[in-house]
Amino acid sequence: MFEHFLAALTPFNLMLALGGVVAGTVIGSIPGLTATMAVAVLVPVTFAMTPDSALILLGAIYTGAIYGGAYSAILLRTPGTPSAIATTFDGYPMAKRGDGDLAITLACLASVAGGLVGGLALLFLAPPLAKAALAFGPVEYFWLAILGLSLISALSEGDFVKGLLGATLGLLLSMIGLSETSGEVRYTFGSTTLLGGIEVVSALIGLYCIPVLIDLASNRGRHLEEVGVKPRGFRLGEAWIALMREKVNLLRSSVIGTLVGALPGAGGSIAGLISYSEAKRTGRSEPPYGEGNPGGVVATESANNATVGGGFIPTLVLGIPGTPPDAVILGALLVQGVRTGPALFADGGSTVYTFIFGLIIATVLMLPAGLLIGRFAFNAIARAPTPALVAVVAFMTVIGSFSIRNNVNDVMMMVLLGVLGWLVAKRGFAVSPIVLGLILGQIAERGFVQSWTIGSAIEDLPGQFFGRPLAIVIIGMTLVTFLYPFVPGARAWLRGERKIRGARASGGAITADAVTFVAFLALSAGAFVFSADVNPEAAVFPRTIATAMAIFAALGLLRLVLFGQVIAAPVRGSHWRIVMLPLVLLGAVFIIKPLGFGVTGILACIALSLVATHEWKHPGGIALRIGVVVLVALAVTYGFRDLLLVPLPRGAFF
Amino acid sequence: MRFTKLLSAAAVSLLATGAMAQDWPAGPVDYIIPFGPGGESDITARLQQPYFAEQTGQQLVVQYQPGGGGAVGWSQLNTMSDDGSVIMGVNLPHIVIQPQTGDVGYQTDDLAVVHMFHYTPDAILVNADSDFQTLEDLVAFAKENPKQTIFSGSGKGSANHLAQVSFDEAAGIETTYVPFQGTGAAVTALLGNQVTAEWGYTTVAAQQGEAVRMLAVAMEERHPAFPDVPTFRELGYDLVGGAYRGVAVPNSASDEVKQAVADAISAINADESFRKKMIDGGFAMLDVAYGPDMDAFMAARKELYTNAAKSAGIIE
Repeated sequence: MFEHFLAALTPFNLMLALGGVVAGTVIGSIPGLTATMAVAVLVPVTFAMTPDSALILLGAIYTGAIYGGAYSAILLRTPGTPSAIATTFDGYPMAKRGDGDLAITLACLASVAGGLVGGLALLFLAPPLAKAALAFGPVEYFWLAILGLSLISALSEGDFVKGLLGATLGLLLSMIGLSETSGEVRYTFGSTTLLGGIEVVSALIGLYCIPVLIDLASNRGRHLEEVGVKPRGFRLGEAWIALMREKVNLLRSSVIGTLVGALPGAGGSIAGLISYSEAKRTGRSEPPYGEGNPGGVVATESANNATVGGGFIPTLVLGIPGTPPDAVILGALLVQGVRTGPALFADGGSTVYTFIFGLIIATVLMLPAGLLIGRFAFNAIARAPTPALVAVVAFMTVIGSFSIRNNVNDVMMMVLLGVLGWLVAKRGFAVSPIVLGLILGQIAERGFVQSWTIGSAIEDLPGQFFGRPLAIVIIGMTLVTFLYPFVPGARAWLRGERKIRGARASGGAITADAVTFVAFLALSAGAFVFSADVNPEAAVFPRTIATAMAIFAALGLLRLVLFGQVIAAPVRGSHWRIVMLPLVLLGAVFIIKPLGFGVTGILACIALSLVATHEWKHPGGIALRIGVVVLVALAVTYGFRDLLLVPLPRGAFF
Repeated sequence: MRFTKLLSAAAVSLLATGAMAQDWPAGPVDYIIPFGPGGESDITARLQQPYFAEQTGQQLVVQYQPGGGGAVGWSQLNTMSDDGSVIMGVNLPHIVIQPQTGDVGYQTDDLAVVHMFHYTPDAILVNADSDFQTLEDLVAFAKENPKQTIFSGSGKGSANHLAQVSFDEAAGIETTYVPFQGTGAAVTALLGNQVTAEWGYTTVAAQQGEAVRMLAVAMEERHPAFPDVPTFRELGYDLVGGAYRGVAVPNSASDEVKQAVADAISAINADESFRKKMIDGGFAMLDVAYGPDMDAFMAARKELYTNAAKSAGIIE
């Protein structure tokens, strides 16, 4: 085995590992540029290499991209990939209070640790873990999705009924489009825009990032807390102490990440969410989770990097991709004529072991590379003037959501969902349950319909859903996850403590909430009506969700009438700026095709810089700032077009 | 080796009209795959890439425009540049079935398919540790236990699904089909013994090797990479087909462009080392080019798929 380690240590392979990690981190830090895309772009480059070098480069990019997603999650509250959703929960509050640099260093340490656990599992436990992953059938995937959904109770930040409603909304949104497993077109209303369904990553960007941008543009003041005059370096010592305090969390999350990664099709988002909720459930330290506890960053970042090594387990052992980037890597290997699957490990396995050591080396190299790039990203975002930040980040959301499927419609959906996200947040809905529904909806539906078909065939539906040992374990975990957040309240109630209800909310707030609940009732009725002409298999899931939505909305209304309590967020900041930001972005969507992406980028950046400017005293300074923003936009446009080969529309100009 | 390359180059210049051989491709050609990376459409496009560059001197740039099982890309194809700078992968039975299930923004005949270059033949596979040694074992079991033979397969209304429907009719059996998201998930279910067998492709056997046993393939003759696996015809079932992949251009493109694209794909198909890579990967070669051949091929496939989809209740 030592000779494979040496083979991975050749200068060329080391260079590939380092270069791959750096490129991956940079690409992953841009919202919308996913690990899958980073890997796909570089596949042709690898054709000139030996298979083990190609694998090392692709694996290094992959692991770097998963870590890079933490930057925008922490600094902008925008998960660059679904894997980093839970990083926003505590990472962004940390950045808000001025600990963004600490959070990024911590994310780097946790990512390296998680990546090493995943890599070592790949080295020593791959065949048995691959066998274990096969025990997961459709029923288990269904319950796994439900386990993911049960996190709503932990994530709905205050109003539980609104959290449930948000989840049903996300679930319904995930049903839109042509479903490959049911062969039916649902909820597209004849529009080809909706045919492809709602792309999850562009939806994430919209739901998380657009509300942040609206708030930034409409309020004076800085994005993050002032860092102070003295630079504080990497804060490595503090990060190390925080990590050691969380070592049980770190180990548990890395193991969860490895195991979930080894399940084909589950992926980093579920791994991150499950380990986050476990950390939250068992965490006792201050501040509470969701308000900037370092444990939340440790849990998610170690888990999602552990899925890299975990995901390679089914990829290399079974020839079945564990995660989407693995599918691309598997395809690249096939083109090179390398057979994956059992044979690869069996005959000497020199390619495999050289690659695994290469991946582990790349993970270690991520420590210095990640710290340095993280430092740069933090400085850039913390020091940038707010108007420039708004323009550049908004531009990134547009180019990023386009690049995922090379489709302008996804940009439009991103902006519209962003507006929806902002609106519902003002009515006291958290965004995360919506996202959870959107991500898990299809996994849950597929598992449900498949299990139902198999259960009917063997004439044992209850046994199929509730009788399999693994399914029972997951159901148990689901119940614990769902009920645990209610435990403190229930204990207090049993001790005889009664919560004192606040005064009734104002008439305006009650009316607004009533309108919201009625809108959900109407939506659920619509979901019923428009599922009338699809086949029963394709109708059962959306109808179940619509029913649940109607029940939750009715509950919300009842509670409103009885107690008159409203949890909502006030609208703050300049109103015309709130309206203008999404309008500029929507306008940009419509001129991308006729005028070209480059022109659109310049115009949008100028407009957004002006929208976000509150201080007009120094016209020269403003002009300079706009000039810099336009240059950045142009550089990014050319980089995407010529380096990443994204077919950005050229339109009439460029 | 060099001789075959010379031959195929000669074939191209003979086939292509004099003017076109210089006119197309004038620059890099965008090859849009209407699926995500990593699937069979992507892999075969990646295999074609170097041969295209070698034979034409221009780059073939593979891009992805996934969504709606390919429908997002196909519904936009005819709005794209028709000068031959854009070509798009097309798949059967997708482009026949999708427009009949609902409004997907295109009709089958809207797509100018210029070349069908290979197919992945349908095949029945079982787990290596399954009791079923032959297709007859499986059919006998299915006859005694209606519905209890459970197949995994990729998608509904897909090649796998239509093959299951056709085979059930041919063999006089009633089996259960469970659609999975893609071939990878269907294989996972087979390897994990969640299902009795899988309706898959010869490519699955090429990839999985010893872990699975292929019982029969839906080809006219045995697949060169699997000389021991019988065809369905040998066993008395008239079943030949699979998922076909080809290339289309926007339908407003000139006849010259259509012909030139078809010729370029044919020339790649003629390369021995390309054929070997494809066949080793479990694919089966096909050479249906633009013109009357293509019209006849599409008409026959359309009728076959439509009938199977009707008896499966996927379309009315």
